[in-house]
Amino acid sequence: MYILYYFLRNCYVFVTADKTFLRNILLSNHPVQATIYYRERGEHDHIRSLKQSSERCEYMVFSSIEFLLFFLPLFLILYGLTPDKYKNVTLLSGSLVFYALGEPWFVFLLMLSVFINYFFGLHLGRKVKKKEKDNLQEIFDLDIEYNQRKIYKRRRRLFAAAVALNLGLLGFFKYCAPGDTIPLGISFYTFQILSYLIDLFRGEERRETSFINLATYIVMFPQLIAGPIVNYGEVREALKHREFTAAGLQEGLKVFTMGLVSKVLLADRIGLLWQEAQVAGFESISTPLAWLAAAAYSLKLYFDFYGYSLMAAGLGTMLGFELPCNFKNPYMAVSVRDFYRCWHMTLGRWFRRYVYIPLGGNRRGELRTIFNLAAVWGLTALWHGSTLNFLVWGLMLAALIITERQLARIRLPRALRLPAKALSHIYLLAVIPVTWMCFAITDTGQLRLFLGRMFGTAPGMNVNLNDWRSALENYGILFAAGFFACTPAMEKIFKRFKNHVLGMAMLAVLFWLCVWRLQVEGQNPFMYSNF
Amino acid sequence: MKWLKKWCFLILLASTGAVYLAGVNDWQVCAGPKAVVKGWFDGLASEYKNTADGSGDGEKGNRPPEGGLDGFGNMLSDGAGTWLPVNGVGGVEPPSGSGGSDLRQTSDETAEGDGMAPGDETELPEDDLPGGETPGQGADGQTDPGETGVSYVTVEDDYFADAVFIGDSRTVGMSEYGGLEGISTFYASTGLSVHKMFTAKIVPVQGQKKKITVEEALQENTFSKIYLMIGINEMGTGTVDTFMEKYESAVARLQELQPDAVIYLQGIMKVTAKRSAQGDYITNEGIEERNGRIAQLADNKKIFYLDVNEAVCDETGGMIEDYTHDGVHLKGRYIEVWKQYLKEHAVAL
Repeated sequence: MYILYYFLRNCYVFVTADKTFLRNILLSNHPVQATIYYRERGEHDHIRSLKQSSERCEYMVFSSIEFLLFFLPLFLILYGLTPDKYKNVTLLSGSLVFYALGEPWFVFLLMLSVFINYFFGLHLGRKVKKKEKDNLQEIFDLDIEYNQRKIYKRRRRLFAAAVALNLGLLGFFKYCAPGDTIPLGISFYTFQILSYLIDLFRGEERRETSFINLATYIVMFPQLIAGPIVNYGEVREALKHREFTAAGLQEGLKVFTMGLVSKVLLADRIGLLWQEAQVAGFESISTPLAWLAAAAYSLKLYFDFYGYSLMAAGLGTMLGFELPCNFKNPYMAVSVRDFYRCWHMTLGRWFRRYVYIPLGGNRRGELRTIFNLAAVWGLTALWHGSTLNFLVWGLMLAALIITERQLARIRLPRALRLPAKALSHIYLLAVIPVTWMCFAITDTGQLRLFLGRMFGTAPGMNVNLNDWRSALENYGILFAAGFFACTPAMEKIFKRFKNHVLGMAMLAVLFWLCVWRLQVEGQNPFMYSNF
Repeated sequence: MKWLKKWCFLILLASTGAVYLAGVNDWQVCAGPKAVVKGWFDGLASEYKNTADGSGDGEKGNRPPEGGLDGFGNMLSDGAGTWLPVNGVGGVEPPSGSGGSDLRQTSDETAEGDGMAPGDETELPEDDLPGGETPGQGADGQTDPGETGVSYVTVEDDYFADAVFIGDSRTVGMSEYGGLEGISTFYASTGLSVHKMFTAKIVPVQGQKKKITVEEALQENTFSKIYLMIGINEMGTGTVDTFMEKYESAVARLQELQPDAVIYLQGIMKVTAKRSAQGDYITNEGIEERNGRIAQLADNKKIFYLDVNEAVCDETGGMIEDYTHDGVHLKGRYIEVWKQYLKEHAVAL
């Protein structure tokens, strides 16, 4: 019960918050710079600044009134009404509508891509029939090897062409296309297609013969824009047979609500401190405030992306899919290696499975491992964005991981193990915000300035030495709530109470609380111009 | 009863939703889509009417009326120099003729044209020389700013020791980065609007956790200067007239509460041209309109009008891009520019 009390208390605080909580909610170019996960990551797909208020949203986000109160209920009703045989069609068309609302032209690119890759998949997934083999053996006894080699060579060329085409498209839009014209979610769906093709080529998966099913797999709206990168094997069965049940629907809604809360009540609020630091200008923030702002950004990024992943998972559950999870309490990790095993797990596993292991992983000697790690992180950096700061971020992480690998060889005496573990937690919580700053600040001059302010090497201009005090006053509770939510305790509480009537009531209240906040931040012109 | 258990969460969700939408929200969520649908409908209807009539009216624009004319109604924007006298609260006198205005129009930044009120000849153009101007003259030695010319002096920070700054988040920025902490008093809060100016509890009390309202604080303390910059938060609601009504009564109340104080009405600071072009309620044209009306309240005896936009705007007509991150607030290091402007436009007491 004390947990419920804590919940209620937090809600009370959030609701009756002093205006300072809403401070500069609409600071920058637009209403709440909400799901800036994408923008802040420089994920140029989403760099069109995400606007929270419904009428300004360039594309639909899960945490918007239009999605929550219009698209989703309508879609679920239609989905429920369609017979099982055609549910994939409904899902596909709904997803296309969802995508087209943000990208009226690039939706054709998406469909073209799916179409072409469907045929690639059909060819790559072809198995040479045994009867064919026998015939060949009979007639061309001596030439069987030659023919097989030809078949394999052709297959490999086809595969290379498919990969080159997909990667080329991605690379073109990310790096060569002028301005902000990146199709939404292209990095994600390209990687998803690639995972399908690579699995087919390796013979690990069977090809999808139904175009509708393949299209649904790739275009499905829960995971289209920034969702987990789903492996084909995870949904193959579900694409063919799944159930739309009351239990699944409600379970999914509960998880979805948790994601929504994480995004609207935590991420968007803590993100304001980071906004404040930017508005003041990095040269004018004190060192404690720099660290607080970095911490705020780290929490914001996490809750934003984690919330989004939860919402995607919830939506998947509603529809009958079991989408993979993307986060596992990353801030509880003990090293940067560990951290990235729990952060954006689907991307990590993609790189591990399709780049790291084929390169040799850690089985070809230490030097080769170092090279492999650097390659993987370099590519990860390129995937995230095209500016220099991402490369700095990626290589910094590679360096840290390589160093940790070497240090891991030291065997500590038993007495030192516990303090070492405690120290490693602290190390992680100190290092990760610094890496996130390299990730967040795209201008290298500004990045250098900010890091300089963090470590006291850059001079400040017009610094208000007490700014961190007021930041703590205004955001202290959010920080505390954020730290608490980083621990496994939140999930345990959720699991414990989600089937309890009171737990469900609390979730319902939280859901509408989020709706209210979205309403207030986006629609009310008074709040809207809250300067 | 089993179905109750089966659908428990959905029922709870829906009922909470019904309570919220009906009670708290009053079905506002439907307002947006309803307006959109209505827009389509109207568009179609007018299209139909067009094809029927053959007249090319086009769509009914729902854009707000162009700024610049409504506010003060009579001012021409092409600097022709003739206008009808406008009576503001402070009893503004009409200028002598076209001479003064021409001077003003040619020497000011282009975008400022509309923002100048007739009576305020004290708007000094291009005021970016560092201190040391001779008192009583314009910054660049401009001759005779007009009959009711105000002679400003340049002062130091201690001038603000008995001053109070009242305003919204921009004034909060001044309080944090202006270097006047401990010297001057600030009654400012993010989101403050002229409607809530006196009733919002934003003034911290020494040694206590609670806050008091500006009204109470002004009753307890005495100041000899009041700097007021407010108005951007209200741009989304009401009209310029409703805003000015409230603003005038606020100024009157300030005079009642602090009868001996000099009141500096600061024109609303503009936003960058990019931000203004974003298509929402925050536009530089709207700001200019309001500033023009505010300037009319100045009587140049106890109420003065200062427009810091001279110092922070450039030829785009908006705030200098480098000075800000979000297009609206000055960065910490550039608050100094604002403070310097105020220091150069002080009235000798």
